[in-house]
Amino acid sequence: MLSIRKQTLRGKVAVIGIGMSPVGKVPGKSPLWLAADAAKKALADAGIGKSEIDGVLSSHAFASPFHRFSVAFSEYLGIQPTFSNTLQVSGATAATMFNIGAAAIHGGLAEVVLVVGGDSLLTGLTPDLALRSMTESRDQQYEMPFGIPVANTFAMTAHRHMKDFGTTPEQLAEVAVVQRRHAMRTPGAQQTSPITVDDVLNSGMVTTPYHKLDCSLISDGGAAFVLTSAEHASELGIEKPIYILGGGECYTHEHIFLMPSLTETGAVASSRKAYEMAGYGPRDMDVAGVYDCFTGTVIMMLEDLGFCPKGEGGRFVADGHMTYGGQIPSNTHGGLLSFAHSGMPGSLFHFHEVIAQLRGQCGERQVPGAELGLVHSLGAGFATNATTILGTENTL
Amino acid sequence: MISSEDAMKKPVPTPDADSAALWRGLHDGVLLLQHCADCGHVQYYQQAMCRQCGGENLAHRPASGRGKVHSFSVVQRAPGPAFKTDLPYAVLLIDLEEGPRMISTYTGGKPEEVTFDMDVMLVCEKISEEVTLPRFRRA
Repeated sequence: MLSIRKQTLRGKVAVIGIGMSPVGKVPGKSPLWLAADAAKKALADAGIGKSEIDGVLSSHAFASPFHRFSVAFSEYLGIQPTFSNTLQVSGATAATMFNIGAAAIHGGLAEVVLVVGGDSLLTGLTPDLALRSMTESRDQQYEMPFGIPVANTFAMTAHRHMKDFGTTPEQLAEVAVVQRRHAMRTPGAQQTSPITVDDVLNSGMVTTPYHKLDCSLISDGGAAFVLTSAEHASELGIEKPIYILGGGECYTHEHIFLMPSLTETGAVASSRKAYEMAGYGPRDMDVAGVYDCFTGTVIMMLEDLGFCPKGEGGRFVADGHMTYGGQIPSNTHGGLLSFAHSGMPGSLFHFHEVIAQLRGQCGERQVPGAELGLVHSLGAGFATNATTILGTENTL
Repeated sequence: MISSEDAMKKPVPTPDADSAALWRGLHDGVLLLQHCADCGHVQYYQQAMCRQCGGENLAHRPASGRGKVHSFSVVQRAPGPAFKTDLPYAVLLIDLEEGPRMISTYTGGKPEEVTFDMDVMLVCEKISEEVTLPRFRRA
């Protein structure tokens, strides 16, 4: 199956700067400020000025009135890019921004692309409106009239996974416990009190099988990244560029009732495409950022991304394979469950962490010798899936 | 951007060109499925083109109303204030006898009764003069 594609973006584009705003509860700051604050930090990290950016890709923000967030963002930052778009494939947007940004640079549409997102779901919207703004993304005729919370579509997939494969509530809870332990070592994480499996199981049911602590956080926050060609990264003398080795996406349905299988997702195809482009497989990965809107989502993704066989995700997690010393340390910053989840920028935090791991900048959280990393973003009840594979110079 | 006032109202379906017949049918007490004369595909989600073969020879036929629960989730925390008074309620993914899967909610019993593969039967529930929703009860 492994075939050498004639021309891909593998290794052609590098991430040369990363930045993050304060996350969690950040009152009095707009989505544009959160995005711009992260951008300033990413530019400083890259050691370049804002005038050197000629491309901007952003996600949309629920708490912002701007339909063209990337355009409003450029005005806010005071730049006039010649390549820009606001992408919208729900939670998968983060990885698509990296893939498309890399393609744009490789294809000559831009030389230095800022990938950016910011939103204030915690303090910019009331809790009910935050939830409601998310349910607005379901179909107005076929889904919304029944009162379908965001958690519900994901819950029905996890529930069927439990029925088909014997996945247990305790195994789901273990994902939250592991990631909380990770967040406790991450400066600035929103939730850092230790939790146990029992704490998760006793945290109150939201929608079966998900308890409150099986669900991701609601947060404020933004993140930004500077991407440029490998040649330009070298001209700039960037100390440790992190290269984009592969990308893939897959869109299997729009409506949850048209999802081809509730327990196997488009992540299978999106990751296969990314692995083929990168020339590496799941067993080569040293660290991963796995979209974790809910605990069961992680279990299904560990299977679909190829880290363990279908149906064994629960045991894989319970056996310690998603943390240090296991097969694939995942969400080492705490993820959407414990670090922060500000909507579409949420998965950008996974990128921030995986890139920092590959740079060797994670201090006591560092996965020793991490050279290859994968980030998988997804959204809308598994309707949207996007994977990006990143690596150090040694992996080229 | 939605206002707090809008969030208090339950969303109701607004039929469009593709779905007008479905909602009219429900109003009359039947769930209309689209049967493709060219390839035999049956679809619940209404569109003027067969999702399997692209043909446009689609005929509406009433569903038997019989189905099985493929998956479900009992909602304990509402998606916004409009649904708070309904709690708890079971959201169902139902495999209809004719093949298509649809989403709905359980009616005529307690949500705790719902199990995987349970046989269910369509109930057309009128929620206003204009709108009738397809819900399901234990068969």
